[in-house]
Amino acid sequence: MSKSFEKYQKRRLQASYLSVVLSITMVLLMVGFLGLTVLKYRNLSGYFKEKVSITLYLKNNMSDKQQTELKKFLADKDYTNKIRFVSKKQAAEEFSKDIGEDFLSFLGDNPLKSYYEIRLKADFVNPAQLVYIKKELEKNDFIEEAAYDAPLVDLLTKNIKTIGFWLIVGASVLAFISVLLLNSSIRLSIYSKRFTIKTMQMVGATKSFIRKPFILGSVRLGLAGAFFASAILLGICYKINHKLPALALLEDVKVLALVVGGIFASAIIITAASAFMATQRFLRLKTDQLYF
Amino acid sequence: MSQPVLYLKNANIFQDNILILKNLDFEINKGEFFYLIGKTGSGKSSLLKILYGDLPLIDGVGEVVEYDLPSLKEKQIPFLRRKIGIVFQDFKLLNDRSINDNLLFVLKATGWKDKDKMHSKINEVLTKVGLQDKGYKMPFQLSGGEQQRIAIARALLNDPELIIADEPTGNLDPKTSMEVMELLNQIHKSGKTILMATHDYSLILKYPQRTFKVENGEVFEVVHQQ
Repeated sequence: MSKSFEKYQKRRLQASYLSVVLSITMVLLMVGFLGLTVLKYRNLSGYFKEKVSITLYLKNNMSDKQQTELKKFLADKDYTNKIRFVSKKQAAEEFSKDIGEDFLSFLGDNPLKSYYEIRLKADFVNPAQLVYIKKELEKNDFIEEAAYDAPLVDLLTKNIKTIGFWLIVGASVLAFISVLLLNSSIRLSIYSKRFTIKTMQMVGATKSFIRKPFILGSVRLGLAGAFFASAILLGICYKINHKLPALALLEDVKVLALVVGGIFASAIIITAASAFMATQRFLRLKTDQLYF
Repeated sequence: MSQPVLYLKNANIFQDNILILKNLDFEINKGEFFYLIGKTGSGKSSLLKILYGDLPLIDGVGEVVEYDLPSLKEKQIPFLRRKIGIVFQDFKLLNDRSINDNLLFVLKATGWKDKDKMHSKINEVLTKVGLQDKGYKMPFQLSGGEQQRIAIARALLNDPELIIADEPTGNLDPKTSMEVMELLNQIHKSGKTILMATHDYSLILKYPQRTFKVENGEVFEVVHQQ
């Protein structure tokens, strides 16, 4: 009889711990998704920015040596990501392909110029930097004109800024909600032990001695929650990666490690701080105040 | 001349800014046993709370086990309580752990380090209250009388200079009350100072001791008729 009651009590206790771990897991999962989105958003915006190119039309009659020297000059620039050389002939072929007819046959002469197409690094793709780069390049004796799609860069920069701003606002709101939810889960679990805390004080235990096991216990629950949240997050990433390989979710191990590390760090910091504050609150109350 | 373990002089006791007891003037010397009697709500528990630091002494002079009550700081309260053994009406055992662990908690919390010494102390106090074979049990597996004996054993762990018992028999049947009282009487005979709040007059008649009465906001000594 007593054994079965004991088992029943243990099961009830385990169930209450399970519900705390479950709510911590859900909140941390949300934090993880948020972190992943924010980190991946930077990569994604970088991906689009690095599609922007600047085309350098070259003056006619450049020697091969001069072309090579110019290529080296361009490759040494901080902003250069990739360089592609397109000769007059290639340019004509590409243009003919684009318009669907051989324009050389009725023009007789190739009016197009050889050019270098420079793909820029993401950090340099913004309207101000591009104006400066264009001016600097056009000073070069071999470059006739530097051209890029300015309205596209303006639009891209504006959209990335807007999306980034709202992502940060959304992330902050969700992070705040997460901290509140975790805090209330921990606080409720400590609230249920407020009379135990008072008894501990009555037998001569100091506040720090009483706080320690509550903080450690909460951090343990937090770590369990972090473990489950990370496992679920990685599982979902694996599934998404399978369906949408273009997102390359599993390729960047650094980002994943950062997200999982962030989940564990948030779990430890939030649960420890919440347990500290909740315990401190009940330690300050007098016996009569515990009933309110 | 014996030294007072506690004294109060011109002490006024407030709870939430309401005056509960006024002009308290009494002292208890080492080795004495005092009853504190009075109706429910008369202020007995408030007086005891002042003595173990759960309420501050705002007005008046007082000292308990060499701690000055008016100047008692928050940080000193745990150390004051280590020199006092407190027994409550509702036992106040830690229900999430066994009896041994309840007692072990107190020893660890009060600075004991040596495991062997801790276990031998636990055996000693459990033997003193006659429950040496119940250490493995959970508090809820014991009867009320047994739980109160454990609470008394817990109070004895640090060899306190004063035992404060706040209606220790209030939740017990008359037979068990007598057993607990007999235990407290034995502890007193071994040299401990005890202040016990009660309104069980049959116990006072069976174990007569000096008695303070709390009535109409005042505390005065009652002279027993022989």
